Amino acid sequence: MLSADKIQPSKHPLAEYVHRLESGEALLKDSPENVLEVVGILKSYGIVLDAYSRNLIYISKNQFLVFFPFFKYFNGDVNFQKLFRHWWHDRINFEYAEYCMKAMFWHGGGGLDSYVDTPEFKQLAEAAIQAKFKNNIFILGLHKLFPEFLPEQVRMMSYYSALGQFWRVMSDMFMSLSDRYDRGEIKTIPQVVQHILDGLVADASKPITYAVKIKGKTYDILPKSAGLTFLMDTAVPYVEAVFFRGTPFPGTISYNAQAYQIPLYQSDFTYGALYADPLPIGGAGIPPTQLMQDMRHFIPEYLHAVFRKSKRNEDDLRVQICQTFQKSMFCVTTAAIKGLAPYPLETTDLEQQQANRQYLETWMNRLITSRVENVNG
Amino acid sequence: MNDFFLQTFWFVPFYGLIGAALTLPWSSGTIRRTGPRPGAYINLLMTFLAFVHGTVAFWQSWGQPTHQLVFHWFQAADLDLSLTVELSPVSLGAMELVTGICLLAQIYGLGYLEKDWALARFYGLMGFFEAALSGIAISDSLFLSYALLEMMTLSTYLLVGFWYAQPLVVKAAKDAFLTKRVGDLILLMGIVALSSYGAGLDFSELETWVETAPISTWTATWIGLALIAGPTGKCAQFPLNLWLDEAMEGPNPAGIIRNSVVVSMGAYVLIKLEPIFTLSPIASTVLIAIGSVTAVGASLMAIAQIDIKRALSHSTSAYLGLVFVAVGLGHVDIAFLLLFAHAIGKALMFMSIGSIILTTSNQNITEMGGLWSRMPATTTAFVVGGASLVAFLPMGIFWTMQRWMSGSWEISGGLLALLMLVNALTALNFTRVFRLVFLGDPHPKTRRTPEVAWPMAVPMVALTVVAVLVPAVPIRWSLWLSPIAPLENADLPLIRVAMPLLVLSGVVGCTIGAKLQLRRFWARPSDRTQRFFQDLLAYDFYIERVYELTVVWLVVTSSKLTSWFDRYVVDGAVNFVGLATLFSGQALKYNVSGQSQFYVLTILAGAGVLVLVAMGWLFGLQW
Amino acid sequence: MLSALIWIPFIAAVLIGFGPRSLDSRQYRSISTIVSSILLVLTIAIAVQFDPSQPGMQFTEFVPWVDWLGLNYQLGLDGLSLPLLFLNSLLTVIAIASSSPTLDRPRFYYALILLLNVGVTGAFLAQDLLLFFLFYELEIIPLYFLIAIWGGQRRGYAATKFLIYTAVSGILILIAFLGVVWVAGTESFDYEQLRSAAIPLKTQLPLLIVLLIGFGIKVPFFPFHTWLPDAHVEASTPVSMLLAGVLLKLGTYGLLRFGIGLFLEAWAYLAPWLAIWAAVSALYGASCAIAQQDMKKVVAYSSIAHMAFVLLAAAATTRLSLLAAVCQMVSHGLISALLFFLVGIVYKKAKTRDVNQLRGLLNPERGLPWIGSLMILGAMASAGIPGMVGFIAEFLIFRSSFPLFPIPTLLCMVGTGLTAVYFLLMINKVFFGRLSDAVTDLPPVRWGDRIPAIVLSLFIIVLGIVPNWMSRWSEPQIASLVTDYGRPHVSVNERVSMTRD
Repeated sequence: MLSADKIQPSKHPLAEYVHRLESGEALLKDSPENVLEVVGILKSYGIVLDAYSRNLIYISKNQFLVFFPFFKYFNGDVNFQKLFRHWWHDRINFEYAEYCMKAMFWHGGGGLDSYVDTPEFKQLAEAAIQAKFKNNIFILGLHKLFPEFLPEQVRMMSYYSALGQFWRVMSDMFMSLSDRYDRGEIKTIPQVVQHILDGLVADASKPITYAVKIKGKTYDILPKSAGLTFLMDTAVPYVEAVFFRGTPFPGTISYNAQAYQIPLYQSDFTYGALYADPLPIGGAGIPPTQLMQDMRHFIPEYLHAVFRKSKRNEDDLRVQICQTFQKSMFCVTTAAIKGLAPYPLETTDLEQQQANRQYLETWMNRLITSRVENVNG
Repeated sequence: MNDFFLQTFWFVPFYGLIGAALTLPWSSGTIRRTGPRPGAYINLLMTFLAFVHGTVAFWQSWGQPTHQLVFHWFQAADLDLSLTVELSPVSLGAMELVTGICLLAQIYGLGYLEKDWALARFYGLMGFFEAALSGIAISDSLFLSYALLEMMTLSTYLLVGFWYAQPLVVKAAKDAFLTKRVGDLILLMGIVALSSYGAGLDFSELETWVETAPISTWTATWIGLALIAGPTGKCAQFPLNLWLDEAMEGPNPAGIIRNSVVVSMGAYVLIKLEPIFTLSPIASTVLIAIGSVTAVGASLMAIAQIDIKRALSHSTSAYLGLVFVAVGLGHVDIAFLLLFAHAIGKALMFMSIGSIILTTSNQNITEMGGLWSRMPATTTAFVVGGASLVAFLPMGIFWTMQRWMSGSWEISGGLLALLMLVNALTALNFTRVFRLVFLGDPHPKTRRTPEVAWPMAVPMVALTVVAVLVPAVPIRWSLWLSPIAPLENADLPLIRVAMPLLVLSGVVGCTIGAKLQLRRFWARPSDRTQRFFQDLLAYDFYIERVYELTVVWLVVTSSKLTSWFDRYVVDGAVNFVGLATLFSGQALKYNVSGQSQFYVLTILAGAGVLVLVAMGWLFGLQW
Repeated sequence: MLSALIWIPFIAAVLIGFGPRSLDSRQYRSISTIVSSILLVLTIAIAVQFDPSQPGMQFTEFVPWVDWLGLNYQLGLDGLSLPLLFLNSLLTVIAIASSSPTLDRPRFYYALILLLNVGVTGAFLAQDLLLFFLFYELEIIPLYFLIAIWGGQRRGYAATKFLIYTAVSGILILIAFLGVVWVAGTESFDYEQLRSAAIPLKTQLPLLIVLLIGFGIKVPFFPFHTWLPDAHVEASTPVSMLLAGVLLKLGTYGLLRFGIGLFLEAWAYLAPWLAIWAAVSALYGASCAIAQQDMKKVVAYSSIAHMAFVLLAAAATTRLSLLAAVCQMVSHGLISALLFFLVGIVYKKAKTRDVNQLRGLLNPERGLPWIGSLMILGAMASAGIPGMVGFIAEFLIFRSSFPLFPIPTLLCMVGTGLTAVYFLLMINKVFFGRLSDAVTDLPPVRWGDRIPAIVLSLFIIVLGIVPNWMSRWSEPQIASLVTDYGRPHVSVNERVSMTRD
């Protein structure tokens, strides 16, 4: 019996995941344990992202072109107790937020990336620079000598702000996910994915704007007229830069040019969150350790109980956090894949199915070397 | 009270050591809930204290007579191992340079390694490293210097191996340790021999001992060669030069120290040993030969490198080669000035490339370009560092060369030719790297490159200022070690053309570098001969292959043979012939699960019988 | 005073051996730890009262025993035995404290360890040749059972091999002892009396050769060493620590005490050959160590290489070299005990010692970072890095033997260089790199697993920084011993003039 209106099974190496997505499931297997882990870790991630986001926005607004931002992680609240805790390193590792921001800035992509190269941006930046360093002959002279130095800093500030705004949305989304889970509304992984997808769709066209106040006057850097939006100009480049590409960790990859371990094209980079090996977490030269360290302080008790049951008790807490975190990132990725799909994945129309199939297989090509098999293993 | 800091100058190395010890709660993972940064701050504070202490002592030491502090460390029989430190402007100046560069590198590391969770371990190692380095600077004892050189070997191993999970790091750390250890061990042989020939192991004692040395030239040659081996390893000289290339796998703040003061310390010990080389013309000649071969070879290798760190680290070997030549010729003041100027210039260049690596996540210069207008501090540091290392603009090395060619030293045509060649090649290399990295259009990986944050920028700018001021040193104090100028022959024709020729070589190098066709994006030359030479130089004359086929092969094969011999011949033969026949059969097949008391009795009885039998035999004979 | 060191553990061993079954393994361990700690305190008390400036034996005890045999219970302590006695007491505490809390037949086990202590202590203190021999034999039996009962898979083979080798060693020593008494014609086996006897060189030589082989098996030197790697591999960790840390020292102690003490002329005659033997043994051990795949075998062969240095120093027979020999024994005792302990922890956690299966154990979350760091320290100490006790001991050996035997000394220095090679290869494979997937699920390391290693490391570092604390006990004593029968300190110049004479 030939059924012309039924799509053939995929021949992709990750066909299993293609079919899973087509049938409305997620990249991560659905199980009560997985739901508990993913929601729990996303809750602590939400808390950390909240702190990151506030700080990034604070820096972009208040430390604009400050060359010695000694207190940039203090969010304007400098006191001795906080200073001492800062010195004792009893604090959130905002360095990780900056690391993500720099990765996003460096990899580029999306509307923000092209906007900061336009003459329009250049003009806005120049106006802010002139206002900031009015009467500062030394800096203005340096600006003349090295004309791209300060504009590049302004671009970076724009990314500070943009990533801050992106994480604001994500943080709220993860917190509401946790609340719904606590209320018993979330029971399955597809529900988790749906929650994230709904959040992304709801804020998809939220404008991304950025302005700084210099000497009482507000200077637009990313005006509303630039038309930058949440989903396409921050979310998508972020997923690309942080989930997929990332930057090679000096603790596991050699930067030696003659060893040719790092690809020539940035698009070939696979050092992102979906690919990273959780085992070296906690060691030297592994930046995500900072994120795991930050999250360890906010793990909900139900998840902590799971971690405590491991063979090493809490000795390998950060590795366990990373393993769980990777699971949750595959849920976020699932939401992104669903949201960007040409047609709803549950469609019954063959043509649409075929278009979706092609779309999904393109994603799967990128995921072949990812940890997707490990998180489901 | 006034000279309290001067009297306690020997304490300066201990600051680093204390700092290293205090990082243990974090580096050992005992404190886990909070981060490792306090370890870094403590070390920064200790290094800062060391720097301040050293500075005060340094200023107070001016005009003071040189004197030694002797600490009798170990005495047994008539061996007296004392740890002697010297108080002199030279030793304190060297210590000052060490603590200064360490301080800058540690501030720099705060930015470079801000994402690294093993920060405390890194700073602990840096503190340890600093202690060993500043100890060597003030050491007046060959024994103490040797001990500290070994500690440097150890800390190099640990620092290069900092990112211990990265496969190339693993190999690099091992190779760095073993290469340096080969040199150290031969040096130790020399020390043991020296000490056995009745020499005291203080440098000042050695100087007087040399005058009445009771050894033959032949012995002196062997000892001289053995003493050269240690610095050869430390200074990455041919044939022990490869480790420096590999050590570039380590984090850059350590690379700053390694390429400036660490390699210098090997040469510093060499300078102190110079009197011994006067005993043997062969040893001096070997020094000059090693130095020349390395200077030219490493300069050539540098030109073919595509890795930004390696393009500079080979040039480090080259400059240290020049120091070897200077020591071989007996021009110790010049050797000293060379070390000084090179340390500052090279540290600055490594700071610059560190900020490039961090911003671009990349070390391949063929993938870079157009950085200059975005990164003012980095660009300036590279230019100033490069310029102060080439005799072209009136900066560090220029004035050092000018002192060398001032007529106070005996200069041969060959030496001048060597200097011109190295100068031209270095100028060419730096110009080439500068063009690839800073000029041209931005490439994808250098498109978004904001200048680095203040923890990295401040040390870079500070050292840039220092590098600009450095020429004052060769101009004002060209004779640190010799009280008077050895020669006055400024009007020799060779002397008169020397400086212009050197500058010309710099110009030629820069011009070739500026005109050279640059290769981009992993491109390889299409011409076969060109490719052959490119590969030959890029892979360091395949020295590593040569090692593998000789020394490594020898050790591996002989150990396998010995092990085989051990298992099948020695064990087999001794087992079989000697004993199995004696106690053949079932006699000793014990079943240990049974009643143990029985065996105790058996064996006790056996031993007792043995004793009695022997006794009987004894008394039988006596009666 | 000295008898207490022998009889306390003996009585404790008997009591524990027949102790109540109701106590469990952990409790017996606590009891034994207390007993051995008392011994350690006692040793320290003796050391405090010991007067290093006085030559000769101190705390001597004499009880006539078997008169017709010429055997007397005769004890004494001098600068040669005191450091080794301390080493023995210290390592016994650590070995007992680091024994498994759940092992089978704990009463027998701890009784044997204490008996082992009795044997070793007695041998170090005995001033009667026959008494020494009895203690020497006594120590073999508990060790045999310790390997044979609580050992690894091939424990039967290893224990038997050990027993046969050491029995032969004992027989040879006994033959030499009997020979010397016979030749000297003395009434008893009293050491001092025998030393003053004049024995012609031609008679000394065969006796010394027999004695050399006898103790050479114990140390062990090539080619009599093959029992050692097997014994180590099969022995449990505490036993390995004692075996390498203390028991091997009985061999070198015997060589110094009896080889040099009784046959000085023959010793001096054979010295150049002994130096060559030392070099061969050192290089052979190092070379074998490079090829090993089992961590414990690497350390075992390293022991062979490092013990050979003692022979080199002993061959030189100067004041300095004998002191160097004592320092090297102490240094090797501490370092090898540390290394065996650490290898034991790795094995306990990872269930393998194969360097090809282990990888990346420095991983701070799931590896053994403390153990790895201490292993690096131990390896560096063994390789003679300054700041640790291995350096000064080896430096003294090389410095003192170079004027007499330059070529063997240089070869031994090459052996030191090879130490770095094999330990670095091992550390790089086992501790560096990404954690191996085969061993990611290691159980957590407790402080009990670390403290013994930390204590040993502290000793290694402190004695490396202040070596006088190690040498002050022996130096004046050995100086006086050497004026009796050794060469004074020699430099090459003097040697040149000596040969001219």
